Amino acid sequence: MDSKSKITRRRAIAAGGATVLFGGGVAYLASGSESDEPEYVPETFHTSEETTGFGVELAGRPLVGDPDATVDVYYWTDYLCPFCKKFETETLPKIGSNYIDTGDVRLVVLPYPNIGEYSMPSAVWSRCVWRTVARTNPEAFWRWHEAAFDAQSESGHDWADEATFREITERTDGVSVSAVDSCRKSRGDAIRDAIETNVGVAQSVEIRGTPGFVLYNRDADAAGKLVGAHPYDTFSNALDRVLEA
Amino acid sequence: MSITRDSAPAWLRGLPDALGYPLTSDGRLVTAGVVTVLAYSVLVLSTFPQFTIQLLTRNPADLLYGIAALTRETYLSVGWLGLFLVVTYALLTGIATTHAITLFRRARRTSASTMLGVVPGFLAAGCASCGAGVLGALGFVGAMAALPFEGNLLRLGGILLLLFFLGRTGNPQTCSIA
Repeated sequence: MDSKSKITRRRAIAAGGATVLFGGGVAYLASGSESDEPEYVPETFHTSEETTGFGVELAGRPLVGDPDATVDVYYWTDYLCPFCKKFETETLPKIGSNYIDTGDVRLVVLPYPNIGEYSMPSAVWSRCVWRTVARTNPEAFWRWHEAAFDAQSESGHDWADEATFREITERTDGVSVSAVDSCRKSRGDAIRDAIETNVGVAQSVEIRGTPGFVLYNRDADAAGKLVGAHPYDTFSNALDRVLEA
Repeated sequence: MSITRDSAPAWLRGLPDALGYPLTSDGRLVTAGVVTVLAYSVLVLSTFPQFTIQLLTRNPADLLYGIAALTRETYLSVGWLGLFLVVTYALLTGIATTHAITLFRRARRTSASTMLGVVPGFLAAGCASCGAGVLGALGFVGAMAALPFEGNLLRLGGILLLLFFLGRTGNPQTCSIA
């Protein structure tokens, strides 16, 4: 049997067309535009020296929202993580407006360096920026935080280096580069150790990627877990359940 | 120096027939297309298994959201080359499935030896290509980032393995004479 005789022009055109459609569809999804959600800046920030009932150390970590909120959201993130940027731009603004600014939820920003070589240094930058502005101008930290995610390039992790984070810090109003540098030099090792401690908490609940979340009802001592940039409705349902726990 | 068809390795000579095999019937073409889409979905979703499992167990209707989000994530992590390799692997999986079905039917009529010849290659290529998902499932956070070219070398290895075994089979409806 000569099977080649069975390859018809019609089937060849159909296969070619389907392949082009398939590849085009994938390219369309890959090049998807960023969200046009308005940029979110939380209304309140605070600091704390406590360790929560879930075992997360809060000292030196950016705390967003009401100190007495019923639910803590522990948000493990990495400035090199595209999925974290998706969460920050598409989902966090809605969570912020509907849960954080209403006083129901407190967001605890925790580094989970896992994507690339500069993941840990970028986390140290972040902690030092927070340290220098936490009591006087915490909104400056948030502007820096958003600028760091905005700096992600279209592909790869090469964009993340000393020069990029220095430039972000220099152009963020209210942040002193010299103060941040001083913190990085004098407290870098201690910060890295502290980051590892809270990464250990994430690993203990089997969070294996970023963004990772634990939703913890501080009164009821009940918790739920989400991993990845889920749609807002998933977060909303999970938060409602934990709030009612 | 050019390589003529006769001087090329046997598996390379068999490759055109192997890749064109799904075009030999409407049923095979549809099978290859459906399996290609399924394979792509599995490969992309397996890049972040913990997210995928949570997403689909909470709401299976979010499947398309998951595929779209992880396609974008794959592109942002490994670039167009990485995404191209995933798409290529999915296409080859679609083609290889039509081979496997034919070989399986033939093996049932004759002996199992032909089937045994293609199965190891199919499995080896699969393991190599979706290593991202496997490593993720095992909990090695950052494992793909630590691999050469962030896993693209692993994906390329999987594709070459699959091409090799497809080429070795050639047209599965014909028998080669050693």
